[in-house]
Amino acid sequence: MIGGARFRLVAVLLLLVTLHFLLRPFLGDARIAPDLLLLALMIYAIQARPGDAAIAGFVVGLVADALTPVAFGAGALAHTCVGYLAAWGKAVFFAESIPVSAGFFLAGTWLRDLVVLLAGRHLGERMLLWQLAVWSPLKALTTAVAGVIVLALFRRWLGVRSTG
Amino acid sequence: MTPAPDTLGSRRDSIVFVLCLLLSVVARLAPPAVQAPIADAIVHSVLAPFLYLQEQTEVVRASRSRYLATVGLRDSVLTRAMTVEGLELENQRLRSLLGLSRRLAVRHVSAELLHQALPTASLAARLSVGEDAGVAVGAPVITPQGLLGVVQSVSRNQALALLWTHPDFRVSAMTRDGSVFGIAAPRGSSGPNAMVLELRGVPYQQEVPLGTAVYTSGLGGTDGVYPRGIPVGTIIDIGEEQEGWSRTYIVRAAVAPASVSHAIILTGPAVDIRTAFTEAEGIP
Repeated sequence: MIGGARFRLVAVLLLLVTLHFLLRPFLGDARIAPDLLLLALMIYAIQARPGDAAIAGFVVGLVADALTPVAFGAGALAHTCVGYLAAWGKAVFFAESIPVSAGFFLAGTWLRDLVVLLAGRHLGERMLLWQLAVWSPLKALTTAVAGVIVLALFRRWLGVRSTG
Repeated sequence: MTPAPDTLGSRRDSIVFVLCLLLSVVARLAPPAVQAPIADAIVHSVLAPFLYLQEQTEVVRASRSRYLATVGLRDSVLTRAMTVEGLELENQRLRSLLGLSRRLAVRHVSAELLHQALPTASLAARLSVGEDAGVAVGAPVITPQGLLGVVQSVSRNQALALLWTHPDFRVSAMTRDGSVFGIAAPRGSSGPNAMVLELRGVPYQQEVPLGTAVYTSGLGGTDGVYPRGIPVGTIIDIGEEQEGWSRTYIVRAAVAPASVSHAIILTGPAVDIRTAFTEAEGIP
């Protein structure tokens, strides 16, 4: 990635991280509000090498764990997997297009929740199913919508195509 | 034979990935005494400006609600705008919080709940006040509706509260007249309606009618974690029965954590504060 493109990517990621904290009080129910921190990770991951995306995922996961230390380490594990798989998946699915990226965001958010909940082991079986069948898909959907908006707004900066 | 650059890159990626996974597992398996300082260090370094931002946004949101409430009361024309359901609810919450704050005879501080994104966030919440405001580990966290949780860890300007939904949460509870005692704990894995508590260990002979309100009993050793008289919930059903021995009752919690944006942390000694809640409900 050349200097200008790198700078623009960092600017978008910083904006997302700031908005994550700035907008959270206004986004309503935390269970379905879009996770802009995870979105920033996935946008970075689809532009980076899998190893770098895994490191970024680990860092973002630790940050998420520090914010909610109910199952410390589970977030790091989940975000590492999502970061690595998103970067690896990009190479396979050519995720530079907005529709494919939206699918990535959807699947990535749900997968993150799955790994966090399994690694955390704090919820009972039915609660886990309820979380994974209802709340996580809704959160994944809002995160994907937010991702599509970000990609559409910063299409040129991020070098994505508007079609598959 | 020298490996191709792509193969080297791919191998490096895999090694880094496995390394990150291992570090994550180590972090997950580390004892709480190791995890807590790491979390605190992150919260008070890289995350400090962002959490400050979130806290200020919460304050701005609350200030805006208060401003709108005042304008709405003063100017009858604007009361129509107050019918917006969300705004009305927020105003109601803030007013009841202020009302409870006046009625409480024990030292306390108000705090904003900084909701986070992980699915486990429904089990614990970060609060916007800490040691500087007199908050200590074990301090009860309440709302005008009742008990929300307990402070698990505290730093200079923030605290982490374990909510009643957390599997480790327990509180000694009783009926209003103090005739029936038990231990209230989250029911946990009983299905989609599992956002309820259960009152365990009630002697079999003591039948509690459905609809009975359950309060904290104030029991729990010399530390007196929970003062007597904080509403815990209302009995809605009978759970498991151990024939001739004890009953478990299902309790609808007084507080729904997802809807809470402001709370009160009790910082004074654990005294009976039943009247602070019952006055508002018109209960003698």
